[in-house]
Amino acid sequence: MAIIETKDLTYTYPGATTPSIQDVSVTINKGDFVILTGPSGCGKTTLCRTFNGLVPHFYNGTLEGEITVSGLKVADHKIHELARHVGLVFQNPENQLFALSVEKDVAFGLENSAMPRDEMRKRVDWALQMAGISELSERPPHELSGGQQQRVAIASVLSMQPDIMVLDEPTSFLDPVGAEKIFKVINELNKKLGITIILVEHRLDLAAKYANKVIVMNEGTVALTGTPREIFTSEKARLIGVGIPKATKLYQHLKRQGVTLKTVPVTTEETANLLLEMLNHD
Amino acid sequence: MSVFEGFKFRKVSSVIHNLDPRVKFFFVCILFVMAIMFNQFLALVVLFFIPLPFVFMARVNRQWLRSLRGAALLAVFIFATNFIFGYFYPSSSIPHVDGAIDTSMEYFALFERAAAMTLRFVVLIASFSVFFLTTSPDHLGLALQQSHVPYEFCFAFTTAVRFVPVLADEAQTIMDAQKARGLELESGNFIKRVRNYIPILIPLIVNAIRRSLELAEAMESRAWGASDKRTNLYKLNLKRADITMVLITVLMLIIALYIWLFIPVPSLTSLLFT
Repeated sequence: MAIIETKDLTYTYPGATTPSIQDVSVTINKGDFVILTGPSGCGKTTLCRTFNGLVPHFYNGTLEGEITVSGLKVADHKIHELARHVGLVFQNPENQLFALSVEKDVAFGLENSAMPRDEMRKRVDWALQMAGISELSERPPHELSGGQQQRVAIASVLSMQPDIMVLDEPTSFLDPVGAEKIFKVINELNKKLGITIILVEHRLDLAAKYANKVIVMNEGTVALTGTPREIFTSEKARLIGVGIPKATKLYQHLKRQGVTLKTVPVTTEETANLLLEMLNHD
Repeated sequence: MSVFEGFKFRKVSSVIHNLDPRVKFFFVCILFVMAIMFNQFLALVVLFFIPLPFVFMARVNRQWLRSLRGAALLAVFIFATNFIFGYFYPSSSIPHVDGAIDTSMEYFALFERAAAMTLRFVVLIASFSVFFLTTSPDHLGLALQQSHVPYEFCFAFTTAVRFVPVLADEAQTIMDAQKARGLELESGNFIKRVRNYIPILIPLIVNAIRRSLELAEAMESRAWGASDKRTNLYKLNLKRADITMVLITVLMLIIALYIWLFIPVPSLTSLLFT
């Protein structure tokens, strides 16, 4: 079942001469874990902004084509209506936390939606626990590390219990360990709660294994869609400059040398297992 | 950055910290009123000692002393101004003295008068700093909100406080970056020095604007403005300690009013010289 569907979506920012995204038609199903990737300035962020109505309601400009999210036509619904269905996590963790304590931040969306206090307390505790930061609940956000801050941002979106969570390069300010933790948290949200995940990411080595679908954008259009294995082995993806995981690169290198592994690996562990298997076999 | 150090609130827990901020504010306002009511040196000395037990109960003595020290320069200025003006216009501002100031008693009265005015200022600083040292900005925002201040203002206030350390860090980074490019901050005369800070301020302001745009985006994404009847995770409730504090404050005010109306407070001069 499609939860996000766009048809020939074209958007131009006010004052811009060329559209930032052009004729984008994508279908994302309920429960998908989608990686959205592509070179800088290819329109990934703009596409993410259309999912919860920041484009066109916050940025104005002209939006053509159709987009439906959770059964709602984005053009006809306000951002705060869409916010109940779509949660957006931004790149810079610092600029999306505005309260003086973590739990107050997590409660922010619920307070805006006028939720009764008792229920709000339960939801906040639940969201903190899901993000693995229950022990930080009273700390001020600016004292936390980038990774912790980003998990607070995730919890604050999660507390709204959205159907879809869109994460726009959530790990670009983090070290690999912090990034890995973020991916684990969102993977759990996807697998346990069935939340549809759309993850914008450049560095695919860590994230690729969780995804079941990859969308590659280039110059404002969708260049490729498919499963991670299809995309990572395609020549076109390499030419666009997709950050193909090293494990898959090794697979291709071996293939050129005449060694073909049974399946296409996307993680180091997979590659190691495949290689071991092959060596034992011989 | 030491300039911003004073704005950072450290989370401590004590009876005083846990008091309802509205109650504390009421107490401080009453002290303020009392400091205006009395202009006798002895009365103001008594007023000065009233916030002291609260300072010790909240264990903020060191910070409190620091804020008093910060006010010292201004206090000296107020003293000097009062003394000089009292000297040239004696009849209007000094009681019990007629004509020009020449006797030691008159000098002492003048001194007492100036000291009282200075002490009035110190009492205000002392009591307000107890309030700000023991009230977390979070609580303050909540108190504002429950006093029916529009939420937008409360939000602006708490967010501003939240971003003080972030902007302080950023200012430091920009300063380091510009220094690394050869900017000299501590050279030249006063005007030159002020001009030196322009390359710091411009990136700081531009970044702040960019940051505010991102913040607005994040707020919109989290259902800002979804409902007119916004709820709040926390609620301030008056506890027993708060009610006790209100009673103490009201009692203080009653005593002060009684003294003000019926008991003339003697001046130090009249006690010493008669």
